[in-house]
Formats: sequence, C-alpha cells, structure tokens
Amino acid sequence: MLDFLQAASDGVLFGATYALIGIGFTLVFGVMHKINMAYAAASIGGAYAGLLVLKVMAAAPPALVFLGAFAAGGLLGWMVYLTCFHFIPLSSPLATLMSTVGMLLLIDEVIVHFTEGMPQNYPAMFDDVMLRAGEFTLRGDLLLVFGVAVVCMAALMLLLYRTRLGLATRAVSQQPVAARLCGIRLEQVNATTFVVTGLLGGIAGALIGASVGTLSPLLTTPLTVKGLIVTVIGGLGSIPGAIVAGLLVGGFENVFQLYRGVTERDLYVMLLLFVFLVFRPGGIFAAKSGGD
Amino acid sequence: MLELQTLSRHFGGVRAVDGLDLSVAEGQIFGLIGPNGSGKSTTVNVITGLFAPTSGKILFRGEDLAAVPTHRRLRAGIARTFQNIRLFGQLSVWQNLWVAQNSAEDQERQGFFARWLGGQGGVRAEIAQLLEFSGLAHKQDELAANLAFGEQRRLELARAMAAKPKLLLLDEPAAGMNSEEIAQLRERILSLRERGVTILLVEHVMELVMGVTDRIAVLNFGQKIAEGTPAEIQAHPAVRKAYLGGDAA
Amino acid sequence: MDFYFGLVQIIGVHTLLGLSAYIVLLTGQVSLAQAGFFAVGAYAAGMLTVLAGWHLVPALGASAVCGAGVACAVGFPALRVKGLMLVIATLAFGEGVRLFFFNFDYQIAKGEIKVGPLGGEGFRQIRFFPENGWTTGEVMVFIWSIVAAAMALLWWFDRSRYGSVLRAVGEDELAAQSVGINLTAVKVSAMTVGGAIAGVGGGLYAHYTTHIEHASFNILLATFAIAYPIVGGLRNVFGTVLAVIFVQGFLIEGLRFLGDWRNLLFGALIVLAMNLRPSGFLGARRRA
Repeated sequence: MLDFLQAASDGVLFGATYALIGIGFTLVFGVMHKINMAYAAASIGGAYAGLLVLKVMAAAPPALVFLGAFAAGGLLGWMVYLTCFHFIPLSSPLATLMSTVGMLLLIDEVIVHFTEGMPQNYPAMFDDVMLRAGEFTLRGDLLLVFGVAVVCMAALMLLLYRTRLGLATRAVSQQPVAARLCGIRLEQVNATTFVVTGLLGGIAGALIGASVGTLSPLLTTPLTVKGLIVTVIGGLGSIPGAIVAGLLVGGFENVFQLYRGVTERDLYVMLLLFVFLVFRPGGIFAAKSGGD
Repeated sequence: MLELQTLSRHFGGVRAVDGLDLSVAEGQIFGLIGPNGSGKSTTVNVITGLFAPTSGKILFRGEDLAAVPTHRRLRAGIARTFQNIRLFGQLSVWQNLWVAQNSAEDQERQGFFARWLGGQGGVRAEIAQLLEFSGLAHKQDELAANLAFGEQRRLELARAMAAKPKLLLLDEPAAGMNSEEIAQLRERILSLRERGVTILLVEHVMELVMGVTDRIAVLNFGQKIAEGTPAEIQAHPAVRKAYLGGDAA
Repeated sequence: MDFYFGLVQIIGVHTLLGLSAYIVLLTGQVSLAQAGFFAVGAYAAGMLTVLAGWHLVPALGASAVCGAGVACAVGFPALRVKGLMLVIATLAFGEGVRLFFFNFDYQIAKGEIKVGPLGGEGFRQIRFFPENGWTTGEVMVFIWSIVAAAMALLWWFDRSRYGSVLRAVGEDELAAQSVGINLTAVKVSAMTVGGAIAGVGGGLYAHYTTHIEHASFNILLATFAIAYPIVGGLRNVFGTVLAVIFVQGFLIEGLRFLGDWRNLLFGALIVLAMNLRPSGFLGARRRA
C-alpha cells in the first residue's frame, strides 16, 4: 500500500510536466484547431538550449539554465509558428500537420547532430532534499517541479483571463472570423499563442531534464505521445482538463511501472487512452470552444 | 404518408420545435412556413434523423422512425435538400448523382457487387434521365464546386431525386432565385408530384409557396399557429401577426 | 545493380504502406496506425515462414488477413473519434503495437539455434528468400507484382461507385448520410482494406530485410505512411507512388552524399514542400 502511495505521489508530482505539455497542445488546438506535432520536441529542444547557458558560464546556477530553457522554448515556438502556420493556408490542415511533423524530425535531428547523440546531464535543484513522513518520502526536486509547473499554470491563467491579449486569444478560439472583424489581428494572436506555449514547453523540458537527471533525444517521441494522450484525456481545448489529465497520467504511469516494470509501463498508458476513447471520447472536460 | 405527433426538439432551454402535430397525405405538396427561427429547418433535421426528437413521434407510412438511423431513412424513402447546398464539390455532377442511388429499389435491382464495384454502365440511363430533368446533361463531368449557383441548386434537387424518394423534404429551395427561376422550380416540383413524390416544402419565398402547395402549416417559436389552404393562410390573422407583428392591414 | 534492386524493393514496400494510408485518407480519416498494421503483417508472415515452415505466398495471404482483422477492430472505435483526435488515437495505437512487439517473445528451437521474435532483440533469420534461392532481382519483381496488383485494385475502386462514395464521405459526412450512405460501413471497410494492404507490405518487408524489430515500426514509419498520400495528393494512386519515389529515391538515396546532414534536410524539406504546395503533387482536381 505504501509503495503504491509512494509511486502515485511521485508520479503525480512528475505529471505536472505532462500537464504543461498537454496545456501546450491543447491551447494551440483551442485557438487554431490544429495540432502542433513538433511541440514536445521543441520543449526538449528548449531544454537543450538551456544547457548553452552552462557553456557560457560553467558554474551557472540551475535556475539560470531553466531560464535559458524558458526563453529558448519561446523562440522555438515562434519558429514553429513561422515555418508551419504562418504561410500555409488554414484550409490545408493536412499540410500544416505534415509540416509540424517535418519540424519534429528536424528538431530531433538538430539535437542529435549537436550533441553527437550523447545524452546530456541536466542540473537539478533540491535533489538532495527529502521530506519524510515515516516511510513516505517527498522528493525535493519533484516538489520543485510541481511547484514551478503550478506557478506557470497560474501565470497562464492570469494571462488568459486578466489581460487583453488573453481576451483576444479566447475570442479567436471561439469565433475567429468575428474576432477579425473586431480588429483582432489573427496572426498576432496565433504567433503569441505559439510563443507562450513555447515558453511553457521550455520550462517543462527543463523540469523533465532536472527530475530525470539527463536529457536525450530519445525523450521526444514518448513525450509527444504522452502529451497527446494527456490532451485527449483532458479534452481537446480544455486547459483544466490537460492539468488534471497530466497529473493523472503521471500518477498512473508510475504506478504501472511499480507493478509491471518499465518496458510494459507505456503499453498500459496507451490502454488508459483507449479506455477514455471508448467511454469518454470528449475527455474529462469537453472542449469549451466546440472541439472539431 | 408522414405524421408528426407532438414532436418536440429542445436544445437546452431553446424549444426549437414544441409539440408539433402535422400530417402530410400521400401525393400532397405541403408547405411549412414561418418567420426565421420558427423551427422549420429543425423539423426537417429531426424528420431526416440528424437530431433525435426530445419527445413525440414521427410516423412514416405508419412506421415509427425512432430507431431508424439517418442513412436508413433514405432507404425507407425520405430524401432532402439542404438550405445551404451541401454538394460533394470534389465529385463531378454525374458522381454526385451516382453516390446517391441508395434507395431500397436500387438495392434490390442490382446485386451488391455490381452496385458497389461495377462501372458506370448499369446506371447510365437512369442518371441521364435525372440530368435531363435538371438541365445539367451538358455539365455531367464538371466538378460540382465549379457549377453556377442556380445549377448547384438544380443538382441538389436532382441528387435528392436520385434516391427515388417517396417523401421529399425541400429546405428553402428558392432562396436567392429570381422570378423566372422560381417559375421553373415550380414546374419541376409539380412534375415531381406527377411522378408520385410527396413533398414537404419549407420555404420563405411566398411566390413559390402560395403557387405550388395544397396545404400550408405555419410555425412560430416552434409551435404550429395555423394550418390550411394557401388562401386560408393568407387571410389568417395569427399568421399576419407572426410575420408582421401586431395588427397590420 | 543489386543496390538499385534493393532501392526499388524499398520503394515497392513503402508504396504499399502509402497506398494503405491513401484509401483511408479518402474517407477523411488521417490514420497514423498504418505502420502498426504493417508491423502485424511483418511479424505474422515472418513467424509463419520461419516457425511453421509455410511458403511465402500463403504467409502473405495470412498477413493480409491479420492486417485486415486488426484494422477492422481499430476501425470501429475510430468512428467515435473525429478529426485530429483520430490522428492522436491512431498514433497511440501504432505506438502500442510497437510496444507490444517490444515485449513479445516466441521462440522455438530449430536444430541447435532458437528462432522467432525475441522482444527488444527483434526477429532475426527470416530467411525465406535466401533459403529458396531467390535473387535480388527476382525479389524485386515479386514485390512489384504485388504492388501493381494493389494499385490496380485501388484504381478499380476509384473508378467504381465505391470510390466516389469513399470520397463523398471524406468530403461531407452529413450530406453523405443524408443521401443514404452508411458511414460506418464505408469508413470501416476502407480501414480494413488499408489494413490488408499494409499487412502484405509488412510481410514483404520482413522477408527482404530478414530481420525486423520493434524500432523499425516507429512514429517515423507511421509518418511516412501518411506523408505519401498527403505529399502525393489524393487525385489517384499515382500521386502516392510518385511521393514514395520522391522521398525514398530522391531524398533518402539521392541525398546520401550529404551524410549526416541528410537527416537534417529531410525534415526541412517536408516543411518546405508543405509550404510551397499544400495540396500535394497531384492535388485535388480543378477540372474533372
């Protein structure tokens, strides 16, 4: 029982990173009704770019590396927007989908190229801190991951619900044509959505690197799949859904790993997705903006 | 032929159709009119199965349609046109008619293999007839998306006819037409009746409705406020009120 | 010469993969599951020829049936999931298949060695072609006769009412229903046919590479599968073939001289192609 609780709580804390990735996918979907397949890769790419801070300043504190990842994520987000969504007409959804896949492959290869395929160590914070309650442990670094993620989500909600930009974004996600007629510049909202989700993604990537300890290009594929699973379970377009689903998937994943081992773990996460698809295809919370 | 018994369709708090009783006899051309938002299109959508009724019954030739899915209702003999034309733009005129040949009669006549995997030969004559009827024979290989608006409307009607319906639901077929086109449409509708098709005509354009229907029902806010012959409806005070508001001469 | 035969073999097998995605795409379903059906066919055919001693032709028939069966099973729940959600669901399915084979062991002893799939190690020694004296050229011709048959089948479908009905469903499901088309039957049948074609492709793949493993059936392969008909356009089957030749022939082989940079360029070229020509090489017809 204790093992179960331990695995579940560790998993839920880590799941906050999945929640961030899920939010990134779901936000782009909500605003543009498109999936940015390159998102998880860009997040990991941002995390890698954060390591460049260490190249410049060898003894930089981890927080600076995270900040680097944050900024790089935003930049990468903007680049993905430019290459995949700015020029391709919105009436060609297959073309945008395909080009984000192209970017996914490109980012993956760039990472492999520059790191020569070697996994990179990632700085962690509070990894030596352990809060104990009897046999039960709360890892300090996981608590930080959870905390930072929560702060980011709160900042995002503030942005969406308390700023003009957020208002414009929500307007576009509900009625793009009417929003345009009200003078909202669609391109600006879309580009900003990508930058904001990119920023979130960069942080998520850094947090993943910090809690796992290393970064490897092999992370991008499973992260893409899990991020998408989280988005679907949470309901396409629903941010609260992505948050809950992310924590759920994180928790379940770790519990599956406890009972069935690492190799079978992902299979069970997949099964979780199918259960949802069969019984609740709209996700935990159905999308606010009418979905597809 | 068609009977609606206290049919209701609610969308949350909105009562799009509210306790509607309607009876269309075989061979009639029945008109359904009413101001915008009165529930006319919703009624058509419920009859064809796109929405399930919130309560009430739909009887088609005595059979309750409750459990019958949309594509089966077509096979049972109910076809429709759409208010904002829904043609298969990337298919040719000929192909639009071809894919619509799903009536029970067609299914019995041709074997499964021939119907699905056979070439165009077997149905050439029939489709040629439909094209003739709609004046689209010269455009049979043109993509539906490339047709002029009037031609698209005619194709929409022809496609509904390709299904050999017993009951045809026309959803505002005269929208955007000029007088000449309306006269042609009237002729076409009358000749359809001669072929044994019962017609439920949902329409705004009074020129068409008054000139072609046997009976009219008037909806307002989802409820039937009047029913009668065109002459009776034109003189009906409740109808006037619904359309013009208050007592207008 | 053998090198070119090998390349043509790859193009052939990938064409089957692309064609399986093509027919599903006609109905408007963007499926990333085709690589999964491909994998099922590969392991099925391999196990039948290696472990049960079957001849290749019936083994390929079995892969077609297995691919079709799994695809049919996927086709039904796929109906409940629309648009982009389907992309995600099929992506997850493909990954699920890959993970399944990652964990799949079934070995029997043949003489002194053990043969059969061994989890992460994969399935080695699928040696039907070499053991039966097939030359590379003969394998190539065999593969392409099957490809030609598949193309002929889909060409026939395209010309028949079924083809128009597939496209009608892909264009407007509501209208299709209203003219009496049974959406379930059409979409599931397309998925099933696609599964059969992918299964055969997988069976052929297993035999010409002689060694398959879970990692070969990854998201990249699933992406290739759907990329071919998207890049090639949906006008007819030739678009898909052209796309395979372009990607495998030109991009992968032709750019081999670029060495490591080739992989970098691959993603970039897809992005470029989609920006320049969003509807594919042979995109939707403007005139009938």
